[in-house]
Amino acid sequence: MLAQERRKRLTDAMAQAGIEALVVYGNAWQGDYLRYLTDFSILEGHGLGLILPDGSVELLLDSATEAERAEVETTGVAIRLAPEIARGASARLDRIANHRIAAAPLGFMPKFLADAARSYKLEDGTRFVDKFLMVKLPGELDALRRAAKLADEGYQIFRKAAVPGRPQFELIAEIEAFFRGRGCPDNFMIMGSGGQDVTAMAPPSDRRIAKGDLVTTELTPAVEGYFAQICRTLVVGKPTPAQLRAFAVYREAMEAGIDAVRPGATAAMVAKAENDVFRKYGLGDYVTSKYTRVRGHGLGLFCDTKPHILEDVETVLEPGMALVVHPNTYHPDVGYMVLGDSVIVTEKGAEVLCGTPRELFEA
Amino acid sequence: MRRGLIAWSKAELPESVFAARLQRLRAAMGKEGIDALVCYTNNTRPAAASWLTAFVPYWAEGLLAVPLSGDPLLTMAFSNRVVGWGKSVSCVARFQGLPRIGLGTGKYLAELGVKRVGVVEFDGLRKAVADDLAESAPQAALADASALFERVRVRPDAAEIALTAKAGNIARHALAQMRGDETRIGEALEAVEGPARRAGAEEVYLAAAPDLAQDQRFRRVEGSVTPGASFAVRATLAYKGSWVRVTRTVFRSGPSPLSERAAEIFAAATASLPSLDGVRGFRSWAIEGCRTAQPLDLLSGSLLAEQQPLAPESIVNLQAVIEVDGHNVALAAPALIGAGGFPAGALIAPLFERA
Repeated sequence: MLAQERRKRLTDAMAQAGIEALVVYGNAWQGDYLRYLTDFSILEGHGLGLILPDGSVELLLDSATEAERAEVETTGVAIRLAPEIARGASARLDRIANHRIAAAPLGFMPKFLADAARSYKLEDGTRFVDKFLMVKLPGELDALRRAAKLADEGYQIFRKAAVPGRPQFELIAEIEAFFRGRGCPDNFMIMGSGGQDVTAMAPPSDRRIAKGDLVTTELTPAVEGYFAQICRTLVVGKPTPAQLRAFAVYREAMEAGIDAVRPGATAAMVAKAENDVFRKYGLGDYVTSKYTRVRGHGLGLFCDTKPHILEDVETVLEPGMALVVHPNTYHPDVGYMVLGDSVIVTEKGAEVLCGTPRELFEA
Repeated sequence: MRRGLIAWSKAELPESVFAARLQRLRAAMGKEGIDALVCYTNNTRPAAASWLTAFVPYWAEGLLAVPLSGDPLLTMAFSNRVVGWGKSVSCVARFQGLPRIGLGTGKYLAELGVKRVGVVEFDGLRKAVADDLAESAPQAALADASALFERVRVRPDAAEIALTAKAGNIARHALAQMRGDETRIGEALEAVEGPARRAGAEEVYLAAAPDLAQDQRFRRVEGSVTPGASFAVRATLAYKGSWVRVTRTVFRSGPSPLSERAAEIFAAATASLPSLDGVRGFRSWAIEGCRTAQPLDLLSGSLLAEQQPLAPESIVNLQAVIEVDGHNVALAAPALIGAGGFPAGALIAPLFERA
């Protein structure tokens, strides 16, 4: 079972590193560390997980509703409802205060728990856990492959649903309903519609889809907690020559980025490969933070995990990592455009998980 | 992550509502000698900041600073590209995007020269943010202000009561779309999710108890799961910052008189709140409500060894499993403990069909 494999991996590494207890934090925004350890995808409140070298796992939750759900959704985990969770967890750590305790992500720990005045000391275990979140087991990669297939199917629904006159939030309702029907409990998505007035994607608004709009989305469904992403742009109606010319730049950039994915390359090299294409066409300003956030990012138990694909991120790619390569940014002639595929880093380069054609679709 | 409609509805939440809430908060701060109040927000703990600004984060985190005098400032860890969107969906005097929200907020507090700063949920504030706040506002003494905020926030205004009822009715209408003859739980969830989001829900978390005769606990359903003779679906739903849980039990053989009897028992229990006499005989129960930043916090319930008294004139949400003639019926609905001229009782009728 995947959850047990992950725990074994952690406890083996803890033994090697001399870590005697590992405490992880999670909420619905940053839940990957907690899911890795406890196999629980938290939705409400705070969650704290603790693993000891013998593999025993405890999960503290401050929501009764979540504690009940965790009882049903996890195995091999001792679940405790702790309404005052920081103090409850602190009392638990007091009992092992003479142990070497690592915490991840340390910056997310509740202040009370991480206070220097406590009887125990928390070491920063973020990087220790990050390597397991980034470099995945075969079972984790299999879940990502299935999530990417679901993303492809979801994008077909999106294309059909993007009709003139429909408000953005109704379009998203179609996609979310489709995913629930397919037994997929979680998806992250944002979108945009319009023209040169649109500078980013955001949650859906009540803006109505109109003829001639560029409609952008990133769909990120999860399978067994693992998120895979697809980014595509469509035009409502016939694309203009300017839209087609712009899109060709994004496709060339994404393909350059994917070609750069190989063991030993860095996240920075992938970002540079994408950005060089924009620079070649005189669009260098549009790959800066003024117009875009990242040129891709890691995928896994969080939809935006490490490494971020940026020219100053020197994380070395290894087989077993999963990324989305997406040169999403603003184009001065047509507005915000997106294009991205999920990939797995293999010994031979990138294994592309998305099967949706790399086209500027018409709807 | 929020995936539904996020928009500030000026019709349902006019600026005057936020002005009145700020006034109440500042009056309480003044009495306790607090110069500024700080609330953390992210998509899992949005309730304190959204109650004061209408802003609901879909991503990232933020800090709201409310000085006793001067402009409130919401600092979100947004890039400038998204700040315009943030301003468009919030009612706050100042809005800025900075990667380190603690530093941005602390700098503002330092400029104002405030000395005593109350922080909502100070113990739970994440370490990195707390460190930045303390570093950038060295003149300020930081202390927990959760109790103060809760006292101000607990009594709902008419806008909040109306929005909670609306959220409940969106959930109720969505749950009513299940036919009852679904062969997979996923079909039932699909029937609920679409209508809820089309009605404007900011977020919907669906969970199911696939076979109520075997297990009354709710879980998220992944993959293909076959329902038992009776199953239940719970919609946890947000609309304009108001969160509810509404549950429907489905008897696959068709509408059952058990549902009607359970709804009557449930209605009687909510009408008798804050007394817990009506719920004590339930197989399990939980009463949740918003105290500070978590939308639905456990206030009382069968899992707790000791029950704290419920605040009069507050909004709560009751979840229950009621045994009727040997069958389990799961129900949940928002309720009011008598406030604003409204009588105590459920804000929606937790009955979806009649036998």
